[in-house]
Amino acid sequence: MAAYIQGMSWLTPLGSGLEDVWSRLLEGEAAKVAEIGKHFYIPLSPECQECVAALGKNPRLRRSSAISYFTAWAGKTALENAGVAGVNGGRIALVSAVSSGGVIYTRRFYEGIVEKGTASPLLFPETVYNAPASHLAALLGIDGVTYTLAGDSSVGISAIKLAAQLLETNQADHCLVVGAEEVDWVLCEAYRRWRLTTSKPEITLHAKHPAGALLAEGAAALVLGREGPVRLRRIHGGAPFFSRAGARAAISQVYSDLADGEISFVVGSANGSFVDNAEAAALGEKFPGAPVLSPKAALGDALGASALIQTVAGALALGKHPSVLVSSVGFNHQAAGLTLETS
Amino acid sequence: MSTVVVTAAGIVSPLGRGLAETTSSLLAGRDCVTPVTRFDVSRCKSSTAGQAPESLLDPALNRKEQRLHPAARMMVAAVRELREQDPGFAPTFCVIGTTSGGMSFGEAFFRSLSKTEGRPPRAAWLANYSPQKPVLDAMEAAGFSSPSEIIANACASGTNAIGHAFSLIQGGLCESVLCGGYDVISELVFAGFDSLQASTAEKCRPFDKDRTGLVLGEGAALLALESLDSAQRRGAPVLAKVAGYGISTDNHHLTQPHPSGEGPYKAMSRALASSGLDASDIDYINAHGTATPFNDATEGLAISRLFPGARVSSTKAMMGHSLGAAGAIEAVFCILALQEQFLPPNIHFRAPDPGWDMDIIANEAREGELRCALSNSFGFGGTNASIILTT
Repeated sequence: MAAYIQGMSWLTPLGSGLEDVWSRLLEGEAAKVAEIGKHFYIPLSPECQECVAALGKNPRLRRSSAISYFTAWAGKTALENAGVAGVNGGRIALVSAVSSGGVIYTRRFYEGIVEKGTASPLLFPETVYNAPASHLAALLGIDGVTYTLAGDSSVGISAIKLAAQLLETNQADHCLVVGAEEVDWVLCEAYRRWRLTTSKPEITLHAKHPAGALLAEGAAALVLGREGPVRLRRIHGGAPFFSRAGARAAISQVYSDLADGEISFVVGSANGSFVDNAEAAALGEKFPGAPVLSPKAALGDALGASALIQTVAGALALGKHPSVLVSSVGFNHQAAGLTLETS
Repeated sequence: MSTVVVTAAGIVSPLGRGLAETTSSLLAGRDCVTPVTRFDVSRCKSSTAGQAPESLLDPALNRKEQRLHPAARMMVAAVRELREQDPGFAPTFCVIGTTSGGMSFGEAFFRSLSKTEGRPPRAAWLANYSPQKPVLDAMEAAGFSSPSEIIANACASGTNAIGHAFSLIQGGLCESVLCGGYDVISELVFAGFDSLQASTAEKCRPFDKDRTGLVLGEGAALLALESLDSAQRRGAPVLAKVAGYGISTDNHHLTQPHPSGEGPYKAMSRALASSGLDASDIDYINAHGTATPFNDATEGLAISRLFPGARVSSTKAMMGHSLGAAGAIEAVFCILALQEQFLPPNIHFRAPDPGWDMDIIANEAREGELRCALSNSFGFGGTNASIILTT
């Protein structure tokens, strides 16, 4: 049984309008970059701040971190886009994808312990990975199936796969899949020392010696159901790799498993890190000549949100291309992918 | 729909390593909660936890594995245990639950950045911090290369992982799935529960009228789930069947369940419906039973309503609450209870709460005929999950 995309949303450093951001991505426009914390740069996202302000008076969210606001905004907007009404009583499942989760409150909570010897009971509950999903479920009245998945940048594909499994095993009639991420200076510091991100304000894709990615904040959401305008032809839940050198073989395996038809456009995951060359080599081998768009060049890598942002881009690309591959190579977990076509 | 069986289980917890040691500890009602020495707890109300001793971790770890986070080392030990029982198990999918991954390495990294510590940050802390890393380490140690999902549904994660694996096999989407959960105590999480006044300075007394809170624990448990047809084809052992799974979301509050017990009631009802069993078929309930006033009140109400007079224990009094690992560890306890026909004890129990209709397995294990056991796990965010295991 196939799963279909019925609605979608995204909240990116280039904005939140589906067609508007898509056309700016196609024109090669990159988001403006802002400095945060201790000399780290991330793509600036004024609309993320606006969404926080717009949802800010909700009692359930009043103590929550930015990631919960992003999740709530993206989830609600995707349901509106799908025209799915009547969540209460409906069989709607929620799958949330995160990578670092509530890192701002986690850092602040631990900072309190280390520097002041105090632990705030207001911050701790918001540090759990499933806090954003819990808030969104409460706002929407979802009282059945709710999952949060953690992983690297490929976790959004795993979340879509899980949602499709929930539909196939008849545990839900619709599934809302949301990926979100927030950025804190400590996250930037960790990724820089891990040699995955650059300390410069811009990135270069496919460099011989990759300098690294820029982390970003944002969210994206899909509503999946058993019919809709975009069909998820195949979803590969992930090929693991145990070292960076294994990434190319992993994504090649994913492409081999997904290659059951024509691919006319690729939404790639190149981000300025080792991912670029692994993915490019595998694409050149399996899908030579297919045009590739790498949204992370313009938007940064929003980790838990990034594969869902790519999938939204893939669905929008179906306006001009009959079939699209969404390719995702994570930092330290899996390579994954999916193929899309119009119904 | 496929029948789902468990062909092997690996476990590391304060109660021991492996099925035999764990059974022995359960039968003896061993109290494995000890003073915390890994970090400073002098500012916390609570000062004890169920800690898995270093000696339980695999002595055969290679040099690379010795540098891993303790969570990964537990996972490696658990998967090796599982492989010894069923060397032919080859999962096509992997679902693991956790709440905090390699948190203590994140803490070390943060401390290394502070001006007072002066200890340089190590790349290994970053590489081994993320929740997927212990899963990858275990897969690599076992030679598995399937896709994997890391479920982070707070303290229900382990049961969710088993339940989701069950759904995939029962629905014919997978033939064999490695599932389970892990978590290791860390300063941040310890201080977090303490800050919420959920932890106790006393003994953990689940379902006691005068219970005062939880103690934390740690461990890892992995289960090999497979369709009965597939297991029979390759002559694999069958430890138990997974018969049902139920999940619900309680939207009352991020950290507190609705006082009505509706969330746990729905999860248990859905597990029953999914199994096709009647409430009277359930011979034993391994409760979530954290010993916090809120959890036990709502779970006690829900159990009394759905399973009046049921035989119930919380094994958390023996080893603490191991968060994302709890559901997987307690599923293994249920399998051992079914295999050895005993009811694990709810130690430190003194006085029943008059509001509930439950037969608490107080302080000592009991012999008993068991065919069906239900295991509950509930977590922050209102995640509730129940699974049913049968002989």
